[in-house]
Amino acid sequence: MGSFLIRRLAGSFVVLALVSLMSFALIWLVPGDPAAAFLDASATPAQIATLRSALGLDLSLPQQMIGWYGRILSGDLGQSILLNRSVSAALTERLPVTLALAALALAFAVVVGVTAGLIAAVNHNRWPDQAVMTAALLGLSVPDFWLGLVMVLVFAVSLGWLPSGGFTAFSQSPGEWLRCMILPALTLGLVQVGFIARMARASMLDTLGQDYVRTADAKGLAKLRVVLRHALPNALIPILTVIGIVSGALLGGAVIVEQVFSIPGIGRLIVGAIAARDFPVLQGGLLFLAIVYLSINLVVDVLYAVVDPRVRLA
Amino acid sequence: MAKHLILKAAVIAAVALGGAQGALAQRKGGEVTIGISQAPPSLDAQITSAQASRNVTLHIFETLYARDENAKPVPELAEGVTVSPDGKSYVFPIRKDVTFHNGKKLDAADVVASLERYRKIGASPALVAAIDTVKASGEHEVTVTLKQAQSTFLDNLSSPRAPIAIYPASEAAKEAGKIEVIGTGPYKFVEYKPDSHVKLTRYDGYASNPKGTGRDGFAGKKEAFLDAVTFRFMPEGGARTAALEAGQIQFNETVDGPTAKRLGTDARFTVHKVVPFGLQVIKFNQAQPPANDVNFRLAVQAALDMEEIMAISYADIYQMDPSWLYPGAAFHSTVGSDKYNKADLKLAKELLGKSSYKGGKVTFIVDNLRANVDTATVVQQKLKEIGIEVEIAVSDWPTVSKIGFTPTNWTFWTHGFGIEPYEGPGSVMAPWVNGLSQQAKDPEIDRIAAAFNAELDEGKRKALYDAFQKHMYDAAVAMKAGNYGLFQASTAKLKNFKPYRIPRMWGVWLEP
Repeated sequence: MGSFLIRRLAGSFVVLALVSLMSFALIWLVPGDPAAAFLDASATPAQIATLRSALGLDLSLPQQMIGWYGRILSGDLGQSILLNRSVSAALTERLPVTLALAALALAFAVVVGVTAGLIAAVNHNRWPDQAVMTAALLGLSVPDFWLGLVMVLVFAVSLGWLPSGGFTAFSQSPGEWLRCMILPALTLGLVQVGFIARMARASMLDTLGQDYVRTADAKGLAKLRVVLRHALPNALIPILTVIGIVSGALLGGAVIVEQVFSIPGIGRLIVGAIAARDFPVLQGGLLFLAIVYLSINLVVDVLYAVVDPRVRLA
Repeated sequence: MAKHLILKAAVIAAVALGGAQGALAQRKGGEVTIGISQAPPSLDAQITSAQASRNVTLHIFETLYARDENAKPVPELAEGVTVSPDGKSYVFPIRKDVTFHNGKKLDAADVVASLERYRKIGASPALVAAIDTVKASGEHEVTVTLKQAQSTFLDNLSSPRAPIAIYPASEAAKEAGKIEVIGTGPYKFVEYKPDSHVKLTRYDGYASNPKGTGRDGFAGKKEAFLDAVTFRFMPEGGARTAALEAGQIQFNETVDGPTAKRLGTDARFTVHKVVPFGLQVIKFNQAQPPANDVNFRLAVQAALDMEEIMAISYADIYQMDPSWLYPGAAFHSTVGSDKYNKADLKLAKELLGKSSYKGGKVTFIVDNLRANVDTATVVQQKLKEIGIEVEIAVSDWPTVSKIGFTPTNWTFWTHGFGIEPYEGPGSVMAPWVNGLSQQAKDPEIDRIAAAFNAELDEGKRKALYDAFQKHMYDAAVAMKAGNYGLFQASTAKLKNFKPYRIPRMWGVWLEP
């Protein structure tokens, strides 16, 4: 298990090094000037030049690169141009919001997705199976932003049950926090439900066809007991991998959903940084997301190795 | 006769009752949440010229002079001003009744420190560039000396672009963005949650300008009835509209035309028109062919149907007006209107024949704002009719502005000028001085702008401004298509709201 962990960690560092290089490359890959973007159309060339110099954008590329690596290695992601605060502060402030949103969406997607997949597999080729698969396909095809607006129109505007957007901190009011998070989490989770349901169905069908399940069935055990006690634990192994992939997709989807529901998470921060060419936030944000994404994958891989010892040897 | 008298009495009673109800309707209380599309980059009013910041900070901070409804500078924290005959010395008596939100009384030291801070780090340094010294000449008196006379000095001092806000001296000593948000305005700062909201509450110790008789631009009497105002940052237009319909926000800073039409038919909402909000301007890059040729520019100017451009780009919310200033401005002028909105293709072809343009593609750079893309498309179609081939290059604002501030890779660029015409003639001229926006110096504009800044005689200043506007048309330095506006929407319960450059939350109240 130790060597497995070392191998996985080393791989993660390579990925991080590549991501940090790509984050830096944004400065010259993305068109547009942060200084011109920050000032308005009547800014004089002198004002733009002063701001460029203050941001270090007048330095040569190698100088900027040395500065970038020097800073990130010492744990400093720099100062935001737009927010007038450090990038680390901006990110850590918003991380809990995005993680909570993604966690709620994941919980919803897993519970509903696995249940739906299970129902479909048990009723293979009958109407519940077809209904679940059609719904899953529909869910997979719907864009997040559209689904978000439909949710708002139905649950906030027409029914008035939930807020249409905005955010209340958990520490301020747990009840209000939950009310604010339900619609965004459902929006984010629904798209993934289809994905998980399809995988759960396939995995479950595979397991239900195994000899030991048929033996359990032949012994006369109750159908529900066979499915839940014997088949489901084994079917969960591939689902676990899918959950890892879904977690990454949820972080990506949060960018759009946070925009629609005005939630102050990392996605919103990064979208704002792109629009304003706030490069330090953009670079720091991407690196930070990469770390979160890699950590999630690492945890999933370790869990996978715990559940299935063959993985450790691979 | 008796019947007539009874009827008359009934009418008088009804009017009196209505009046009484009107007076009673002004009630304190209630909270308003405003959906705004962008988050303010900072609440340090002096260091940012972002519209999103102005929306919030002009409720919190005040300036020595502020703009009235027609954008004329009038005293706000100053009681007035005495200007020396040579126009170099300005003595401002400061109001004695004003208290900051932290309880400190306003005095000359606060004003001096605030002006000095702006000179160091203010976002529009040109506003204070003429200042030589700022001194307290009494406990409640400040004297500003200029290096040379500047006719636009009071305009500058009262500009809401990146306001020269007055802070307590203790805050004015702090670096950019590090201040405590403490002003003298009708609302005080409560909290700022990044990417979420800014909350303000009514400042009950607010001392309204005794000279103000009512709501008047950014100046006048600022009576706050609401308990609290929250600015919620909601970038998605559809989400803002949904929030208004769901009752989660009471005011939507901007809605598109079709939504405005729909909400306008619903008794629960009121749609407001802010017209004018900006000028739609089409710039030429005069640093390279073909737009370095005046005949090419005049040909384009002659060909364009500005009404067609405005009707498509800003349907239902535009004004046709040749002036580079807004209607109501002191120097508003129709000079040059003989060359405005001509759509004269015959003349255009003649002028184009005299130019050096002999075919080939020219580039129209434009950001992804729908109205600007529409403007570029209409121009492209119209110019095709006189034989100019226009290629449209759309990208986001940072990319376009980077290209547009360089002398190559573009011929046309369109965007709005909002605050410049509001600020007045000096600001309208400034983008063309030194060839800043047209990428090639125009000696005539430089001469007029310098003379205008030094001239103190109102009549001569007006003549100079007219000369500027005439030159803009005679040389087609750039083209103005028209004035555009924007739609705002609020709950019908928000009473006495009057649209202006920011959604002013003073003078308004909520009905239950």
